[in-house]
Amino acid sequence: MLRTIIEKELRDIIGSTKFAVTFGVCALLIILAFYVGARNYQVSRVQHDAAVAENLRQMEGITDWMMVEHHVFMPPNPVSSLVTGISNDIGRNVEIHGRGELTAEDSRFNDDPIFAVFRFLDLDFIFQVILSLFAILFAYNAINGEKEQGTLRLAFANSIPKDTFILGKLIGSFLALALPLLIPILLGSLLLPLMGIPMDGNDWQKLALIILAGFLYFGVFLTLSTWVSTLTHRSANSFLLMLILWMFAVLIIPRTAVLLAGRAVDVLPVDEIATQKSRLMSQLWEEDRKTMKDFKPSTEDVQKVLDEFNRFMQDQAEERQKKMQALSGKLYEQRRNGQLQQQQLSFWLARLSPTAAFSLASMNLAGTSLSLKEHYMDAVKSYQQTYSNFFKEKTGGMLKSGGFIMRRMGGEENQPPPIDPTEIPAFEYRRPTIGASLGAAMGDLGLLTLFNLIFFAGAFVSFLKYDVR
Amino acid sequence: MTTPENTPETIQPMMATRNLSKRYEDGVLALDSLDLSVNPGQIYAMLGGNGAGKTTTINLFLNFIDPTEGEAIVDGIITHQEPLKAKAKIAYVSENVMLYPNFTALQNLDYFSHLGGKTSYSAEDYQKVLLRVGLQEEAHDKKLRSYSKGMRQKCGIAIAILKDAPAILLDEPTSGLDPKAGMEFINLLQDLRDEGKAILMSTHDIFRAKQVADIVGIMNAGKLVAEKQREELVGEDLEKLYVEYMTGYMDTAVQATDASVTVG
Amino acid sequence: MLKTLIYKELKMIIASPKFTATFGTCAVLILLSIFIGIQEYRGAVRQYETAVQLNDQEMAESTSWGSFDTRVFRQPDPMQIFVSGIHYDVGRMTGISRWEEIKLRRSNYSDDPIFAVFRFIDFTFIVQIALSLLAILFTYDAINGEREQGTLKLTFANPVPKVTYILSKFIGAWLGLVIPLLIPILIGLLLVMLYNLPLTGVHWAKIITMLGFSLLFFTFFIAFGLMVSALTRSSSSSFLILLVAWVTLVLIIPRAGVMLAGQVQSVPTVAEIESKHAKFSQERWDQHSALISERYEKRNAAMEGLSPEDREAYEEEKMWSWMEEDDAEMKNVQADISEYGRKLQEDLRNRRAAQEKLAFLLSRVSPASAYQLAMMNLAATDINLKNRYEDAMRDYRTAFNGFVNKKLEDSGQHGGFRISISSETGVNIDTGDIDTKSLDLSEVPRFEDPRHSYSAAITPAMTDLALLIFFTLIAFAGAFSGFIRYDVR
Repeated sequence: MLRTIIEKELRDIIGSTKFAVTFGVCALLIILAFYVGARNYQVSRVQHDAAVAENLRQMEGITDWMMVEHHVFMPPNPVSSLVTGISNDIGRNVEIHGRGELTAEDSRFNDDPIFAVFRFLDLDFIFQVILSLFAILFAYNAINGEKEQGTLRLAFANSIPKDTFILGKLIGSFLALALPLLIPILLGSLLLPLMGIPMDGNDWQKLALIILAGFLYFGVFLTLSTWVSTLTHRSANSFLLMLILWMFAVLIIPRTAVLLAGRAVDVLPVDEIATQKSRLMSQLWEEDRKTMKDFKPSTEDVQKVLDEFNRFMQDQAEERQKKMQALSGKLYEQRRNGQLQQQQLSFWLARLSPTAAFSLASMNLAGTSLSLKEHYMDAVKSYQQTYSNFFKEKTGGMLKSGGFIMRRMGGEENQPPPIDPTEIPAFEYRRPTIGASLGAAMGDLGLLTLFNLIFFAGAFVSFLKYDVR
Repeated sequence: MTTPENTPETIQPMMATRNLSKRYEDGVLALDSLDLSVNPGQIYAMLGGNGAGKTTTINLFLNFIDPTEGEAIVDGIITHQEPLKAKAKIAYVSENVMLYPNFTALQNLDYFSHLGGKTSYSAEDYQKVLLRVGLQEEAHDKKLRSYSKGMRQKCGIAIAILKDAPAILLDEPTSGLDPKAGMEFINLLQDLRDEGKAILMSTHDIFRAKQVADIVGIMNAGKLVAEKQREELVGEDLEKLYVEYMTGYMDTAVQATDASVTVG
Repeated sequence: MLKTLIYKELKMIIASPKFTATFGTCAVLILLSIFIGIQEYRGAVRQYETAVQLNDQEMAESTSWGSFDTRVFRQPDPMQIFVSGIHYDVGRMTGISRWEEIKLRRSNYSDDPIFAVFRFIDFTFIVQIALSLLAILFTYDAINGEREQGTLKLTFANPVPKVTYILSKFIGAWLGLVIPLLIPILIGLLLVMLYNLPLTGVHWAKIITMLGFSLLFFTFFIAFGLMVSALTRSSSSSFLILLVAWVTLVLIIPRAGVMLAGQVQSVPTVAEIESKHAKFSQERWDQHSALISERYEKRNAAMEGLSPEDREAYEEEKMWSWMEEDDAEMKNVQADISEYGRKLQEDLRNRRAAQEKLAFLLSRVSPASAYQLAMMNLAATDINLKNRYEDAMRDYRTAFNGFVNKKLEDSGQHGGFRISISSETGVNIDTGDIDTKSLDLSEVPRFEDPRHSYSAAITPAMTDLALLIFFTLIAFAGAFSGFIRYDVR
């Protein structure tokens, strides 16, 4: 019995012109999203490699490590190019000093605001819009449409249990719609290796999980639409309702929730931090300048004096640095706490919409969620330590401190040989492992499953009470 | 019996077709040189099965489609040449009257009367006509979405009456009516005839046709195969006549039933 | 006749159950967007004012012209309430000093990426998404729905000219949807007035123009819905077509157009530009130091053989001219470097402009892009926002540095500290002026935000105006010719 209903549902959906048209459009857009993601990756890869090469090239011919300006850049990642998240909004380029605070600059949208005008077209966006609309278009009249046609009466003139019918409907429509969608998704995935995108096992697993999240999201809208169609007697009404729900879920709730809830939490503004820091900095600087007056060299030898002075400056810088770090550590922690609170409140509110849950899950899986900024900065900070050790080794324990550059003038001494920039330890940014990503996305995947279950149960229960006449 | 006033030469028919033919884009000849005429004060009933050409004839009168050959004439106006002028003289009731479901009966009547060029009716006028077609007063302010098929049909007839046009086209007017309402409708038609309206109706209903028509035309496959005046029908077995001319129709009817069995 | 038809159309729209639901939704969304816009704007003003104030305090606390610098911030514009555009993506501030180039840093989104996760909601977004859907919802079955109902047949059994009918459909839908929508819009504007935002006449002129554009965009979708409805037989297929078209026009084409242009027309990245600049400046400074050491040697050579006393006297005598000479050379280098930077920027801008032109040309295939671009231009949150600010900031930098240089000259101060080490006198550290009192800041030039006049806003929007009118006319012509040939049965 169940099989008959599922088969009928499959035939009914796949045989319709509506299916041919919408499936064609969806397939095209999904493949487009994969293509755009792949191209995006290629472009970012070229830019990144050029920037890294340029960074090294600039060090050529420099004879003193103290003169080196070293930058690291966020490397692109194939999965992150498919689900861009906030990766275009945050800085990618960090100038590495041996000590002190690091800031990431040059976000893609700030550099190329043209892409900020209409935003990116990525897999996340396509899935958000397309999968949900596709589900609605085929399920909004699942029950009431059959009633309007009169086929529901006819079906229940036979000895069919209601639960079998609704189960068959849901399974049938899910299979009929989800399985064909696998085709463009697989084609799109195939496009990645074809275009030479280096996907490793980790990346493939992440992509597979993103697609799984996509199907869960699709299921949410399918079960919700079916439920709504059992709550209404006219398909025009259920469609209208679903369209409004769609608009709210996809476009309104996530944005509004974050804007309203996010602003409700007080977060220490960066300007405030910057000012407090710069105030302390100038205070310390002035104190140091006073102590500098007391500097008395122990010898008369110029070279030794210079070394001694450098060391003196170095010690002062370390001292300043400690004080600065104490302050900024305190301030950033304060900001961080505010941000966490803000994030919790606004994301939980946004998760009223399954679209937000899906989007957050896929961003977490792709490593482009809010934690990208932290994760990247943590990686850069640990690199800073490596770099600083390397640098001290090269310069005999000296570090460059901001704003203080010594230029040796005159050709009295022999020019030392140029440095070898390739000696600088390479910066490697490791994306979170699949385990970590999955861990971060688990909550949202669970939430999507929960949405599915609730809406399924809703459809089930209200169909049991449905008047089939 | 034939007085000079009654001869076709002196009375201009209100509705007439001349050599009217219609071939659709798919090549089907739906109407094949039809000639008929309806005088004021006459009811002409077109009998015939599905695909006989009855609805095509009505559509040609309303210029919903253009004729392939010949012409349909209303009060001397060739419909496909001056459709707007012609349509001012026609009232029309469709087979399955559908009106605006979100409007009440009165609102629907008001709207269509305005379209028919009648702008001076009051609410009482509408109510009077609705009562006349047999629609109870408590239904007048209800939205049409709650109406049954028969009630909608009555509304459609009321709209036609309100238009007060000299020619009336009825496409299967009694199809949704119960026997009592059907009877009332026949009486209404007779009243309208007595007011001097020319009425052209298409129907499957042999019984009603015999009861009310002044002329019965039997159509089959786009052709008018027989035309009988009321006088000629007296004593004639119309059913037998109909079946005689309609062998083709019976075949199609059987086929249609077969088809519906397989579909169901 | 026309009046009867329009009247009926209005009644039908307003009496339909979907009207209450959809109109209510749109009204709430419009008000919500304006409310959020106002809140965000006020937040931005607070942020801006605090930042400026803190910066002023810092300036007031500084004691040396030598290390005197400042920061300037982009001032929020109340127009961003309606169109946030790229406002949140572009850096908010730049440092102004003699040693820093202008660079907009710290965009809102990079500071607070949480708001970048789902992006912004503003009036333009609502019009683009919700109102276009509303227009479609009420027109997709305008013609074929009446045919399915059977009322089209009944209507055309009367002497109704088709032209009048389609015209009445259009006017009826327009009036039936626009007039109700004006209510929340006007309430929203009232809200804007109640919050007492600093809106000038130019702002109001822009707001009214923006309203006009929004209505025009909305009108396009009414005409478009009518057209599809007049070209199809069943309302379910017209709705499907319209929904697919809507997704394509509103959500896909604008993005795809820009992405495509990005592929075709490449632009050097900021990193590339900066590295070129850095390379040039490094070369120039190397040249400079070579020159200086050459001079040094020459000067030393001139003093060869002089007794220490004569040498000191000679140095004393020449000191000023040497310093001036060196100073002039240094200024030369600085000027060269900033000129090169300017050229690089100009080149970058030209190539960007070419890319933008192509990108917007491609996206403007969709009226949704034309609409958004026009709105952004009107609200001054368009793509040129960054350039306008960088130009103004660069001008300000020149004025500021000129001022500081003059102050330095007047006061005889110098930046930083000077360490001299010589075998004779040992190490001598001159920390300059730390004990001087705070500076007189009354004459420091103030930064003025670039002005954005009405004509600057409307001129680039003219193309989009023309396009929107063109699209609307095409859609209307399509509806018209489709309906003239429509089989009403």
